[in-house]
Amino acid sequence: MTEAAAHAESAEPILRLRGVGRRFGGLHAVSDVDLDVIPGERRAILGPNGAGKTTLFNVVAGDLPVTSGRIELFGRDVTREPARQRAKLGLARSYQQSRLFLGLSVEDNIFLAIVGVGRGHLRPVVLPRKDAELRARAREAARRAAIDGRLGDVVGALAHGEHRQVALAMALAAEPKLLMLDEPASGLSRGERQLLTELLLALDADITLILIEHDMDIALRVAERVTMMHEGRVIVEGTPAEIRANQLVHDLYLGSHYGSEPEGGASG
Amino acid sequence: MGRLRGRRWRILLPFAAMAIVAAAIAASSLAAHSASVIRLAIMSDCKGAFGGAYELDIGGAEAALAQYAHGKPVSSKKPSAGMTGITIAGHPVKIVGYGCGNDTVPVAISETKRLMEQLKADIMIGPLSGDEAVTIAHYAQKHPTKTFIIGTAGSQDPTLQIAPKNMFRYHGDGAQWNAGTGILAYKKLGWRKAAIIMDDYSFGWTSAAGLIADFCGAGGKIVKRVFPPLNTTDYAPYVQQLPAPSKVDGYFWVVGGTGTGPSLKAYESAYGKVDPKKFVGNLFFFFQSGFADVAPRLIGAYYGGFGNAPGLKTAGAKQYEATMKKWFGPAGFNVTDSFVYNYFNAAHALVIGLTKSGGALGASLNASLPRSIKAGYQVSNGGQVKLDSNRQAIADQYPQQIVKGPDGKPAAKIVGYVPGVDQSFGGFFKKTSPPPGRSQPPCVKHKFPWAGHIKAVQNGVITKKTIG
Amino acid sequence: MSPFAWHPRPMSEKNLVELVIGVTLLLFLAVFPVFGVGYWVSFVLTQTFLIGIAAASLVFLTAYGGMVSLAQTALYGISAFALGNMVTKGAVKGLHLGLDPWLAVVLAIAITTAIGLVFGAVASRSAGIYFLMITLTYAVIAFTFFGQVTQVSGFSGIAGIADRTPALVGDPVTQPNRLYYIALVTALVVYFAIRHVVRTPFGISLQGVRDDPVRMGSLGYNVALHRTLAFTFAAFIASLAGVLYGWWNGVIAPDNVGLGATVDLLIVAVIGGLGRVEGAWLGAFAFVVINNYVRDVSVPVLGGSFNTVIGLIFLAIVIVSPSGLMGLWDRLWDAAGYREGSGPRAAAAAGTAGPQA
Ligand SMILES: Nc1ncnc2c1ncn2[C@@H]1O[C@H](COP(=O)(O)OP(=O)(O)OP(=O)(O)O)[C@@H](O)[C@H]1O
Ligand SMILES: [Mg+2]
Repeated sequence: MTEAAAHAESAEPILRLRGVGRRFGGLHAVSDVDLDVIPGERRAILGPNGAGKTTLFNVVAGDLPVTSGRIELFGRDVTREPARQRAKLGLARSYQQSRLFLGLSVEDNIFLAIVGVGRGHLRPVVLPRKDAELRARAREAARRAAIDGRLGDVVGALAHGEHRQVALAMALAAEPKLLMLDEPASGLSRGERQLLTELLLALDADITLILIEHDMDIALRVAERVTMMHEGRVIVEGTPAEIRANQLVHDLYLGSHYGSEPEGGASG
Repeated sequence: MGRLRGRRWRILLPFAAMAIVAAAIAASSLAAHSASVIRLAIMSDCKGAFGGAYELDIGGAEAALAQYAHGKPVSSKKPSAGMTGITIAGHPVKIVGYGCGNDTVPVAISETKRLMEQLKADIMIGPLSGDEAVTIAHYAQKHPTKTFIIGTAGSQDPTLQIAPKNMFRYHGDGAQWNAGTGILAYKKLGWRKAAIIMDDYSFGWTSAAGLIADFCGAGGKIVKRVFPPLNTTDYAPYVQQLPAPSKVDGYFWVVGGTGTGPSLKAYESAYGKVDPKKFVGNLFFFFQSGFADVAPRLIGAYYGGFGNAPGLKTAGAKQYEATMKKWFGPAGFNVTDSFVYNYFNAAHALVIGLTKSGGALGASLNASLPRSIKAGYQVSNGGQVKLDSNRQAIADQYPQQIVKGPDGKPAAKIVGYVPGVDQSFGGFFKKTSPPPGRSQPPCVKHKFPWAGHIKAVQNGVITKKTIG
Repeated sequence: MSPFAWHPRPMSEKNLVELVIGVTLLLFLAVFPVFGVGYWVSFVLTQTFLIGIAAASLVFLTAYGGMVSLAQTALYGISAFALGNMVTKGAVKGLHLGLDPWLAVVLAIAITTAIGLVFGAVASRSAGIYFLMITLTYAVIAFTFFGQVTQVSGFSGIAGIADRTPALVGDPVTQPNRLYYIALVTALVVYFAIRHVVRTPFGISLQGVRDDPVRMGSLGYNVALHRTLAFTFAAFIASLAGVLYGWWNGVIAPDNVGLGATVDLLIVAVIGGLGRVEGAWLGAFAFVVINNYVRDVSVPVLGGSFNTVIGLIFLAIVIVSPSGLMGLWDRLWDAAGYREGSGPRAAAAAGTAGPQA
């Protein structure tokens, strides 16, 4: 617990990007990104649509290979390692469009998130004791994401907001060291956003959080530092207050784009 | 309450379905059959390479049943429509079913089970092709109370290797069909060195075995054997393996099915136009009415027969053809076709056997089935096809030639008469010797019983002139 | 609290009805040979059980792994060919090694499973149409191999397998009831094994791979390994069907693994229903019965070819119920419930009817 409090500005970053780029044909979705996130930090990544935030997540998580640059996770070069190795190191992420296992129940979805980072992926027999323990953890995560009312339901039959909750439960259930959430609030009602914010604020201090979020209210309340992206590049980095004060940010984002966001709650 | 009743009704659904199935099973099992009725099945191919012979086969068998056992065809155009009134030795004979094979082993076996076990046939006439007959021979071995008379099949194994006591074949196998043709290549065409290309499966090997044994027996040498897989589409790589036409006197071309045309075309693009005098084939050179893309290139080429002798002018042939025409003439069958001929003889033998056994089946029928039978295209042995101790025919063969017919189109002409060809080639093929294969039989000089006795056939008349 | 309390839902009325049907059917099948007709025992039902096993391997891969494999027929053929080569002796085709019948069974299963592992490993990085094509290639390779390599078969196949069965199996021709019960028990074991496996971490993660393989990767799973092992498990199941087929038919030939046979197994699985394992046997039963009894029906316009008739029946089944006969049952059940006024419940049940057994 004290780890987060103890680490100084100079602590080894948990995530370090150097010159990371990702091209899609001629399109530089991410270019030359340097980024350091220290353990326990709450980092928000902001930027207008198409800025490359999700692509950055994809290369960090290993869902997409980089086209240039280098990624270090927990002090280890993982640039060439597949997503599953990064997950095993303690990285969990959610997706902008929830990617859930629609043919499985809510509980099984969360169960998979737990088993994924543990052992026994290939166990082909039911071990009642072991499974009961894993499922108890799954139910606990479901409770934290307030989706425990629908444990037995097939995810494909759930509503959109509930999908977000399942995705969140899965991310939490893996008990990651680095949690990356891609717009967790999109599609949530005001009340649900409130719950989400509280949940994020109450997150264990030793969990590092990187958050992509268009809802500035949530982003700026939760984040300690903010990285602003535009056209694949990092253009500003700073504390929420610095970001709020930055003219460039206003021009690019808060002023024009964000104001027109239909989901937009109270902006800045 | 209504809602509850509705639910109950729903529960009954699957049980109703199960009850219907159970009732259907019971009904199918209770289909009574009288003990004195003799149950006959006719097995042929209605799909696959020989599917076109389906009605021919059935028609051939039914013509014999009509001629010798009072059968009345339901339709004179479509034999598979059935036959009524068949009576032998006072016993009614019922055709319980027609098997529909597709030239493959799995279907042959399941059709045989359907005919013999579900429809409870006592006797089968069939099947139509070589591999099917091998399978059914194994089946026959395990079902000794049933009797099997092969319809048309070119494989050796059913009677040479497996030879179940309840299986009979009144026609030659693929090797027998080619007897004499190899000698013709040696004597008439003057070949000494030849190469052979053969379909890489049992009929190809068996058919090639007849040509190789015969040609090498006369003193010829096979310098190269090439084996394209059955129904290959690109024959170029295989044709490349053949020696150039300048290096050999000729080629034995044992490529059938859909491969005959493409293989010859591949030859032409490698070595130029086909010279018919350098090509000798098996029955596929002029199969049934002849392949349009094959026969015109081969005017003048010799090829092995199919046990039949279209155009033979003997009393027996005329009588046979008249009988066939009488019953299934309106259907427009080519009555000289070997499929028709072989099925006809099989059914004819059955009538004789059942008459002799007084309608008794099983071992008694097996003992009564004729060991020699008068057949239309048989000349030697007093016009009787004889069975050997494995119940396999010893029959005359007729090498043929592709000629220009009166209408200018290619036609088949019988050119030789090879008397009394037996399955073992006078002891050359044995139960213990390796079956025909890529390298079997070896090329060795050997005097076969018919060597020196092959007579020329001119205009359908067997002459005294010895041609090999 | 029972250790199985995690079962997602309590047993529904439908589950209960299915249980009752299942038990009734089993009792019926258990006593059937006592009353039943020989042909139904030896041909229709024994064949249904063993084809159902092969189809179940396909349904397992499709329903739980999202992998439509065209190689299951080849794998079950490989098992029968392996058995035939090892067990037969004397003047038959193949290697006729004359091994002990049980040893040959174990080796046939082991060889097939090992080949399944290799096949699976190669195909595991592909999905969708590419996976289909790779498995089709396996089917073609198997057919060509056994047709051309005459040392191990040749087109006329290997006969005499039924002459060399273990004593327990006996002679399938004179003692068909034995093979009937062995096939029935094997089918049951396979059915329950699949039902069990899909509730284990391996099975659930396989379903995750089916729904979203990329997501599974980011959760820490080795997707290719999962696919490979699922394929191997399915090959193991198919190998059991192959051994039973060898005993039952006595002959195994390249055409057993030809394109026609490959498509037949797909048809069995589709008419049974690709979503539920039970469908494999239901489809096999329908296939065998239709193939066998719908013969002499002649349709005027189509010229009375029974192949056309059979084709039309299969088409009708698939059009009426794209999820096969099992799907038809699910829909009938819901429809019956609707009419009687329990609509919302039925609708909810329909919405949640996933492939999870
Ligand atoms: N798989 C892909 N193939 C091609 N182009 C892609 C792909 N993924 C993203 N892009 C492009 O890369 C750019 C960055 O997209 P990205 O999804 O990373 O933006 P974002 O910042 O997450 O935007 P948003 O706020 O809308 O989610 C966009 O122009 C997008 O169209
Ligand atoms: Mg995005």
